[in-house]
Amino acid sequence: MTTDIRSTSWVNPNHPAPAQKPPASEVGVLGWLHTNLFSGIWNSILTIVTLIWLYYIVTGVVQWAINAYWEPIWVNRKLFAVGQYPMEQLWQPALVLMMVSLLFGLSAGRWGNIMRNLGIGLGALLLALAIIPIGLLAQIVMAVSLALLLAGYFIGARFAISSKWLAIAWVLSLPATFVLLLGGIYLPALDIAWSFAPLVETNLWGGLMLTMLLAVVGIAFSFPIGVLLALGRRSTLPVVKVFCVGYIELIRGVPLITLLFMGMTMLPLFIPSDWGNPSQLVRAMTAITMFSAAYLAENVRGGLQAIPKGQYEAADALGLRGFDKLRFIILPQALTKVIPAIVGQFIGLFKDTSLASLVGLLELVAVGKAVIQQPEWLGVPGGVAKEVYVFVAFVFFIFSFGMSFASRRLESKLGFGKR
Amino acid sequence: MASSTLRNQRPPFYRDTRTIAIMLQVLFLIAVLVVGWFLYNNMATRLASGNTAAGGALSWNFLGQTAGFGISEGPTFRPEESYGRAYIVGVINTLRVGVVGIILASVLGLFAGIARVSNNWLLNKLAMVYVEIFRSTPLLVQLLFWYVGVIAALPTIQEAAPLGALGYLTNRGMYLTWVYPSETGQALTWWLLGGVIVGMIVAWLRRRQLERQGVPGSGFLAGALVFAIIFVAGFLLTLLTATMPAATAYELRRGDRGTLFEDSNGNGAFEPDIDRALAYVPITLYGADNQVVATGLTDGDGAFRFVDLPAEASRLEWTKPAPLVISEPQRQGFNFSGGISVTPEFAALLLALVAYTGAFIAEIVRAGINAVNKGQWEASRALGLNTRATLRMVVLPQALRVIIPPLTSQYLNLVKNSSLAIAVGYPDLFNVSRTIVNQTGAEVQGILLVMATYLTFSLITSLFMNWYNKRVSLVER
Repeated sequence: MTTDIRSTSWVNPNHPAPAQKPPASEVGVLGWLHTNLFSGIWNSILTIVTLIWLYYIVTGVVQWAINAYWEPIWVNRKLFAVGQYPMEQLWQPALVLMMVSLLFGLSAGRWGNIMRNLGIGLGALLLALAIIPIGLLAQIVMAVSLALLLAGYFIGARFAISSKWLAIAWVLSLPATFVLLLGGIYLPALDIAWSFAPLVETNLWGGLMLTMLLAVVGIAFSFPIGVLLALGRRSTLPVVKVFCVGYIELIRGVPLITLLFMGMTMLPLFIPSDWGNPSQLVRAMTAITMFSAAYLAENVRGGLQAIPKGQYEAADALGLRGFDKLRFIILPQALTKVIPAIVGQFIGLFKDTSLASLVGLLELVAVGKAVIQQPEWLGVPGGVAKEVYVFVAFVFFIFSFGMSFASRRLESKLGFGKR
Repeated sequence: MASSTLRNQRPPFYRDTRTIAIMLQVLFLIAVLVVGWFLYNNMATRLASGNTAAGGALSWNFLGQTAGFGISEGPTFRPEESYGRAYIVGVINTLRVGVVGIILASVLGLFAGIARVSNNWLLNKLAMVYVEIFRSTPLLVQLLFWYVGVIAALPTIQEAAPLGALGYLTNRGMYLTWVYPSETGQALTWWLLGGVIVGMIVAWLRRRQLERQGVPGSGFLAGALVFAIIFVAGFLLTLLTATMPAATAYELRRGDRGTLFEDSNGNGAFEPDIDRALAYVPITLYGADNQVVATGLTDGDGAFRFVDLPAEASRLEWTKPAPLVISEPQRQGFNFSGGISVTPEFAALLLALVAYTGAFIAEIVRAGINAVNKGQWEASRALGLNTRATLRMVVLPQALRVIIPPLTSQYLNLVKNSSLAIAVGYPDLFNVSRTIVNQTGAEVQGILLVMATYLTFSLITSLFMNWYNKRVSLVER
């Protein structure tokens, strides 16, 4: 007897009732609209009001952007990029860009994570600049940098490059950048002067290059100081502790601009007169480093506090002494933990370097101010200030938002924000 | 035996951790002192060699010297006053923009932060765009954009169109309708003050009563009601009883300007030291043929001035004003009179600080709301509270504990960031200090003064916020 079970009368053929489709208002586009925009009367009113508002903002902005006078930015693109750096020596900053691209590629391949995200961002930027007709030579430089970035990535991913050497290369890249941009090594205090190209004075450096340099130097130089301050703040020696707390709180309590003015006018007072006067760039960098160190110390302190006490005790149990304990157990863990915070601080510092324009450095904002005042644009009705500042803000936005996005992706991957 | 001798032996003094600690600290102190002395010595040498205008010693005498420059904003400051007072005016200007900025940024940040956690997708994303744009661009660029790009592009005073009854927006500043206590309203200030005090006491009593009865709610409503009653009663009483001084007199010069004042000695002339000016009194100017040539209000100093009158005025009449008068800005030639004016510098600085800090506060509020356990939302919904009530009575009070510490540092940042005023020429404390330094050459003293002031602000704000934090923090068993 192989009757179909459904043919027997005691089984309701419709018993597991066929699944019904969800109502149209809950799935698809309509469902999305319903849950996200029109889930109630209040919500619907809100949506409509926001829509009307958005319409005016968007049409206003688009209309403005179409009618705006973008000529000054296009004409001055070199000024925005590197300031008054001599035209015939632009290969020097180009070399710096290539070096940094290669290092980024290698690090992205070797370390992944945040470096990979930042590398992708840099790559996208280089690609865009290689395509936009900003000038043949500049485009070639961007393309070569992009190639180096990709090559570095594959080398870093494929071959086991020593992390230590890569880190050393990063550390050396900073003095190398200075040598390349200056066109030689100049240390008047030690009587050293060696050059491979005509000297480019630091007052000719400018634009985005200078903005970047100020932020990088601010973080890099403040790093050792910040770590020492953080350790000092957690020290059991009262004198050291008081000194470190005093320094950190003093610096954090005053605005950066006071430190910049202080650096500009008082730094020359503090060094012996036979050492001469430091250049404006050095003064600004000193002020920014002093400022950044205090904030970095607080970030590192956060990392140190996040290390469980057991780690210290385990290190003690292994017989490690003070310095070795820090070097091998505590700092590696603490510093890894604070990478996102340091990226955040770098973004903040990157934005804060705009204040250097108030003490006479020709960084991005100062270039913008100079462009607005160029006589060519005096006849433009309403001036070109809006266009220039929107562009400057846009450049800052790309870098800050890009970096914070890269860092946030890392955080969500590690699950920092979710706990 | 050997081990016990080892245990009894004290380690040599250079291996004793206590000795090492002391030695290290002494060494550190010596190093700091040597470096400090080196720096101080260099400074003293350079200052003494007269390289700078400070001319040698670190003296503070310059604070008493005549400033010789005017300050365009804030409390009246005349060039013949001292540098010390100029600095105080700067401090007041910083506080002015700081306090208004903190209030507005908190409101903006709260709304944007709530929008960031809204279920409404559109509002949520709109708030996100606002936060990301304003957080990711430098404050200085935003400030210059508002100042040079937006405010400077507003219509000129001649072309400005009124914004309804609000006032005018021009590239020389905002001129807004404002309410002032008039000559007869001087007593009203006391009523106002009394109303606030009594209202606060009533609110406090009401809260205690509610607590004793175990009823939820705050005493705010009761306090506000009492305050309103006292204020209205005071207003009506002043309106009915207050009179203009019997010896009211006026001075009319050149047929279009003058002062209204209480003539104490009856000599008919306005002497600022003896006579009292009458503020915000409605006046009517009559010409030679008794026709009305102008009507208006006296200003805060009892003065009035009209431009482009059809005929010269020869006579003036005043009427008794209400305790509070509405003063509308009126175009007078190349300027406005009446109302309240906000300079473009103040407006740009305030706008930039509020928009920038508001974006940061929005993120803090969002993080605070997200930090509240989801179960709290669900429990509140289960009790039958709607979204708004849940937010107001359940979520926000708990989120506040997470919000307060980072909010404190944002408030401090706002005050510190107001030093960017120097970029647009608003005379805040830092800007004034630079002017003082440029004139006197007191470089070191100027920096020390500014740093000490900002540190004081930080200290006071931290103390207040710590107190508030303690008040709202969870009382655990």
